[in-house]
Amino acid sequence: MPFGRRNVLLALLAIGAIVPAFANGYQLFVCNLVAIYILLAIGLNILVGYAGQLAFANAAMFGIGAYATGLLQVHLGWPFWAAFPSGGLIAAAVGTLLALPALRMSGLYLALSTLAFAQATQWVFLHWENVTFGAGGFKTPHLSFAPLPVDKSVGLYYLSIVLVVLLYLFGRHVVTSRIGRAFVAVRDSEVAAESLGIDLLRYKALAFGISGFYAGVAGGLYSALLNFVAPEGYDLFQMIIQKSTIVVGGMGSIAGSVIGASIIILVLELLREVKGMQEIAFGALLVGFVLFMRGGLIAVLRRYVRGWEEPLRMTPRDQAQALAQPEARPSAADK
Amino acid sequence: MSAPLLSVGDLHISFGGVRVLQGVNLAVDRLEIRGLIGPNGAGKTTLLNAICGMYRPRQGSIQLDGASIVGRKPSDIAQLGLGRTFQTSQLFKGMTVLENLMTGLHRQTVTGFLSAGFCLRRGRDEEMRTEEEARRALHFVGMSDFADRPATALSFGQQRVVEIARTLIGDPRIVLLDEPAVGLSINRLTELDALLRRIRDQKGVTLILIEHVIRLVMDVCDRVTVLSSGRVIADGAPDTVRNDQAVIEAYLGKELRARHSAS
Repeated sequence: MPFGRRNVLLALLAIGAIVPAFANGYQLFVCNLVAIYILLAIGLNILVGYAGQLAFANAAMFGIGAYATGLLQVHLGWPFWAAFPSGGLIAAAVGTLLALPALRMSGLYLALSTLAFAQATQWVFLHWENVTFGAGGFKTPHLSFAPLPVDKSVGLYYLSIVLVVLLYLFGRHVVTSRIGRAFVAVRDSEVAAESLGIDLLRYKALAFGISGFYAGVAGGLYSALLNFVAPEGYDLFQMIIQKSTIVVGGMGSIAGSVIGASIIILVLELLREVKGMQEIAFGALLVGFVLFMRGGLIAVLRRYVRGWEEPLRMTPRDQAQALAQPEARPSAADK
Repeated sequence: MSAPLLSVGDLHISFGGVRVLQGVNLAVDRLEIRGLIGPNGAGKTTLLNAICGMYRPRQGSIQLDGASIVGRKPSDIAQLGLGRTFQTSQLFKGMTVLENLMTGLHRQTVTGFLSAGFCLRRGRDEEMRTEEEARRALHFVGMSDFADRPATALSFGQQRVVEIARTLIGDPRIVLLDEPAVGLSINRLTELDALLRRIRDQKGVTLILIEHVIRLVMDVCDRVTVLSSGRVIADGAPDTVRNDQAVIEAYLGKELRARHSAS
């Protein structure tokens, strides 16, 4: 399967790894942005695509991660390396709490209530001026990768790539386990999931928490990338961009999230040249996918190229690896 | 005989002002196959949903193996070993048949999201055992060839069987089946009959069966309970119930009962 998922993604990773060698500052910035949106898309896809919770709070989680990472540095003088993971965990905690309304609501009602929550966070960013610096936003402290011999933009880029690889693998492993199957069970039939002993609150909270963590980590990286945090980066348009990454890539697919995020960000940046075209082309793209390609690009890949299917359990290849480690296999004597 | 595995006492359930169940009593012994029949709207599915914890009764007790389960969450009651199937297929559509079965093992497995995400060996071992067990369960119901089909690609009857297997794999003590025979052909019906017996005899599972296919009920059940308008109107061996005047009246109406007994 030369063009299977594994090979294609590894090739993309190899290209990604050598980008800093030939890219100019702007190109590196865009590539870093792609990495950040891949994290956002994977997290959102776990929540919406796998667990089936139509939530609109991901941009707010992204903002909470960015604000927490920035403010912990500015107000408390924490180093980036402490503030950044804390930002991810804070977003995960807030996300987990958001599961409470999701226990009683679904579909459009959940969408509306999470949207209300997102607007409330906007309001806090704007009006809690003593802490958040209001509409003008604030500058984050300069990030240094010393003693590593890289400047900030290259260092941050590699940090983002490493996190993308780690969190991609984490996400893949979660969705191919009993946890991922519980998510899909909750999505496809809540009554049947419960009848099998799957606790709805627990798994909704887990999905919200995981997606909050991904968004929070992405927010921390984004604040460091821009060196600046302001409310309008985390508004409704941000949410629409994120939603479209998973619509274009494909719901219920981790690999699709990677593809969708890359394509959306590259298209948006390419269209930046042509004033006014961005919104039009973006809208057309979305409508096109919703009308003609419901499953997203991943559905097309799965159909025409071997090796892109994503079963909800360990692949035979994973199993072979597990068996290859002798201690992992219960010996005949044990039985 | 020891205490019943499942006992329902004086159960009342209302929706708005409609009193759907009005003092239902039911006691099901271990390893029994109990039929639950009655005309449409008698409250059979409501009773079943109440036992599963989906509705909160206004009054009454429900005990599983001597412990009260009233007011507990459906997932907790499932954890205690009570399984069920549904009137309409509730297979997980985004999964293959095998993955559906693997989900049935949820309560028997423990891997958390961190050990899953970091791919710890404990989790991987459990995952492989889960798959093996799911394949064995598919074999038990004779559906091995369909393991990798999407759940939606199965026929109606096949979906039924997979749903039963998905419930059984979690090793429940008692399973409530809501009209498993709906839409099955005669051949399939005979298979289902045999399957239900095998489930009881080989797996040691107690069964409660809501069914309109009277042939199946009379054939396979040890005892039959008849509900009508939210009350139990008869309870006994299939043959006794079949000839019970109140039952015939509930199904056919008074006038027809007269003709029925005249003929």
